[in-house]
Amino acid sequence: MTVGTLLLFAFVALMTSIAIGVWLSRTWLALTIAATGAGLGAALMVLLGATDWEWRSGISPGGEPLHLRLDGLSALFLVVLCVVGGAGAVYSREYWSDHHYPASAPRGRMWWSALVSSMGLVLTVSNGLHFLIAWELFAICAYFTITLDRQQREARAAGWLYLAASHAGTLCLFAFFALLAARTGSWDLGPMRDQAGLAPLFWLALFGFGVKAGFFPLHIWLPSAHANSPSHVSAILSGVAIKMGLYGIVRFSGWLPVPLAAGWVVIGLGAISALFGIAFALAQNDFKRLLAYCSVENMGVIMIGLGCALLAVTHGDAPWGRLALAGAFLHVWNHAAFKSLLFFDAGSVLHATGTREMSRLGGLWRTMPWTAGLFALGAIAVSGLPPLNGFVSEFLIYLGLFDATTSKGASVWATMPAAIMLAMAGALALASFLKAGAMLFLGAPRTQAAEQAHECGNLMRGPMLALAGICAAIGLAPVVFWPAVARAVGEWHPAWVSVEAPVSLSVLGSLQAALAILAVTAAASLWRKVRANGQRRGLTWDCGFRAPTARMQYTSGSFAGIAAGWFVWFLRPERKLRRPRGLFPAEAIRLERVPETVLERIITPVSVAILQSYTAVRRLQHGSLQSYILYVLGGLVALALLVLLGGQQ
Amino acid sequence: MTWIIALFFRLALWLLLAPLLPGIINKVKAWVAGRRGPPVLQLYYDLARLWQKSVVLSNLASPGFVIGPAVAWVALTGAAMLMPLGPAGAALSFRGDVLLLIYLLALARFCTAWAAMETGSAFEGMGAAREVSYAVLAEAAIIAAVLSLSVQSNSVSLNTMLAPASGAGAVLLAAGLFTVLLAENCRVPFDDPNTHLELTMIHEVMVLDHSGPPLAVILHGASMKLLLFAVLLTEAVLPMRNLTSLAAVSALAGGVLTVTVGVGLVESLLARFAFRRVPLLLTTAFLLCLFALLVAWKEGAE
Repeated sequence: MTVGTLLLFAFVALMTSIAIGVWLSRTWLALTIAATGAGLGAALMVLLGATDWEWRSGISPGGEPLHLRLDGLSALFLVVLCVVGGAGAVYSREYWSDHHYPASAPRGRMWWSALVSSMGLVLTVSNGLHFLIAWELFAICAYFTITLDRQQREARAAGWLYLAASHAGTLCLFAFFALLAARTGSWDLGPMRDQAGLAPLFWLALFGFGVKAGFFPLHIWLPSAHANSPSHVSAILSGVAIKMGLYGIVRFSGWLPVPLAAGWVVIGLGAISALFGIAFALAQNDFKRLLAYCSVENMGVIMIGLGCALLAVTHGDAPWGRLALAGAFLHVWNHAAFKSLLFFDAGSVLHATGTREMSRLGGLWRTMPWTAGLFALGAIAVSGLPPLNGFVSEFLIYLGLFDATTSKGASVWATMPAAIMLAMAGALALASFLKAGAMLFLGAPRTQAAEQAHECGNLMRGPMLALAGICAAIGLAPVVFWPAVARAVGEWHPAWVSVEAPVSLSVLGSLQAALAILAVTAAASLWRKVRANGQRRGLTWDCGFRAPTARMQYTSGSFAGIAAGWFVWFLRPERKLRRPRGLFPAEAIRLERVPETVLERIITPVSVAILQSYTAVRRLQHGSLQSYILYVLGGLVALALLVLLGGQQ
Repeated sequence: MTWIIALFFRLALWLLLAPLLPGIINKVKAWVAGRRGPPVLQLYYDLARLWQKSVVLSNLASPGFVIGPAVAWVALTGAAMLMPLGPAGAALSFRGDVLLLIYLLALARFCTAWAAMETGSAFEGMGAAREVSYAVLAEAAIIAAVLSLSVQSNSVSLNTMLAPASGAGAVLLAAGLFTVLLAENCRVPFDDPNTHLELTMIHEVMVLDHSGPPLAVILHGASMKLLLFAVLLTEAVLPMRNLTSLAAVSALAGGVLTVTVGVGLVESLLARFAFRRVPLLLTTAFLLCLFALLVAWKEGAE
């Protein structure tokens, strides 16, 4: 089996699944799994082999010859697409079943396959024009999957915002590809590192792809789209779709020369995204929005690694760039694995309780032990704690930053603050996920819905277990995954081709494995000791209070209060406060909601102002002929004056 | 084989010596206050007693209530194994081990706080929220401190990076790290390990509902964390590179003892700060470490 055959098979299977998805759900699932399996096989063959796959054809859709290519870099992203695409398809069969959603489930199947295949196209086409077509297809398919539940007003609004933001980015990409084609004389894409004149185009790519990648402050569409779409769609959006934006930035910063300032800007944007993204996450009360903001943070972490690599390239190919870039690429995989796991988990909670408000949940571990355990695992992974995968990639990025700092070059002024901000973001991520885990699964159920929750079925649990397995595997045996990452790094910057894994990575892997074994042993022994000593159940000791209620528990807002308070100047929460009054106060309220500040405080007012200025300008056009003649006269006089004044010079 | 024996010896040393520190602190406090105070070995007795006791579990608690302290203890022990002990070095050393150490401490924090949230008590919620929030600033300070050590020694491994500079950098670093030590181990002025007024506490309030062996594990882990920070602080500022083994070991022991006595004195002479001033103090610690980093960088660049 060659890469080409596998990809052809995946393509045919996906096209068939699009065609039949509406009617035959079983066949659709089989075809989607087969297609993603074949795609995964092709990607792994390229990643673990030495050669790229390339195919030029005589057919020219749109007047340009078809040119497909799967190299180390696109294969790295294709792996993510296939894993999440397949897992999400299985998950959706139970989560968004025909039984519960007779109207949208069939449509959802079709758009799922269309989304997966359009993203596959983005990763494989190697022609500017076709890239734009694939990109646009991908944007539209994503819109239809986000608005699957279009009876919901929020879902429609989120879809609209996504579409608008996405097209703002695409506008830049049109300019980017058109200028690229104009300067090189061909739409064909490929390595052109030696044409120094192309460097300024990087800024267009950074903005155009950055909107999709969702780093701060271009993330405005991301929280609402992730929160309001069905959870399997949120998983693919967060795990894969935003990675497509990242793919664009990585791809074209590798193929094209970049301006000198690129590394500084990218690492700066990354550090800001990491810190502010997670600060917003901490302040959320809606657990899916929390996960969405956490994606902004993780994109920031990846951008820190990429920025460090760009800095290293301009500093004479310093080896620390290779470490940071490897960390960034590994984080692409890691983030896809744990974030999809967490979104699936969130979907399971939503499915069982029907609410996204953390303050209405609690105590779910009793009815949903699997979901709770897997969430805890995902939380450890996403907070970058050992012994799971999140730590491995952050470790590599830190090593790159530390080495850059000890090298004492000018880049210290970027890497030093980045390391500190990364550490703070890590601690805030821990706080956010501790809060989410505790509010959802621990303590007493806060509402009846939470009390009557039920565990998800096998079709939802299976994909979650598979993703948890990936998180554990990368954490415990990172060396196994190194060759694939190293291949992508070599593809990005040929000077950094290497096979050897860093020694510290293999030591780290064995230590993490030892840690995992010891942790399990210690937990089991302590559990046995507790059983042997005898245990008794009692009320939680609430300062001696004998009749605690579920409403006395700490809430999500109170938990996040301290740390969110430090960012209040930026988060700008909306508060509603009614203090208790009198001797026997009847009610008191304190509500706090953190808006999407960049959107609601900056973009919306600016857009409204622009629209108002348009309205003002429109008053000029009122259909009265006399006034129009006056305008013409005025214009002529102005022109004449201009000519006269110009002539006197 | 010798490596394994050495590892076990080191492990035993850490596990057995750690509970001594809180005893010394209490003795110092008693001495300043003119009391006789509890015996230095009090924590050993407490641990032995708790280990034998039966357990009261909250109705709401899941198995995570017991698993959390166990994993946290393993993480702290692992972190201790990465910490070099003067001339003996660390049990395990590799490039970047310092990052693993910092994140093991974070893992321990996650597990303790998770176990605290299990009970659904507002008090524990308060403690856990404070713990993880103040950790944000403490983490920034630690990373800055580690970066400064890393810059002055040109290394990312604890075995080689704990080669302190003299002068302004060392003083700044010592002050910064000592403040972080107080915060991370929940001592006065951040927290008061003596009171049982839950509203004012961080660490003690998180373990309110724990009893029996899990509480013993938590207390032992906390004492290991204190010892870990005391060793880190001593080695970060005390130049021991050129001493003979015996002198280095006694310097290390003396340093740890000084830090412990220092904690006791701070505890006797200072009152606990109001909570809204805690972030200010932690920010000061961060700035101290940051200035230490800038000094190290400046000296390296010259």
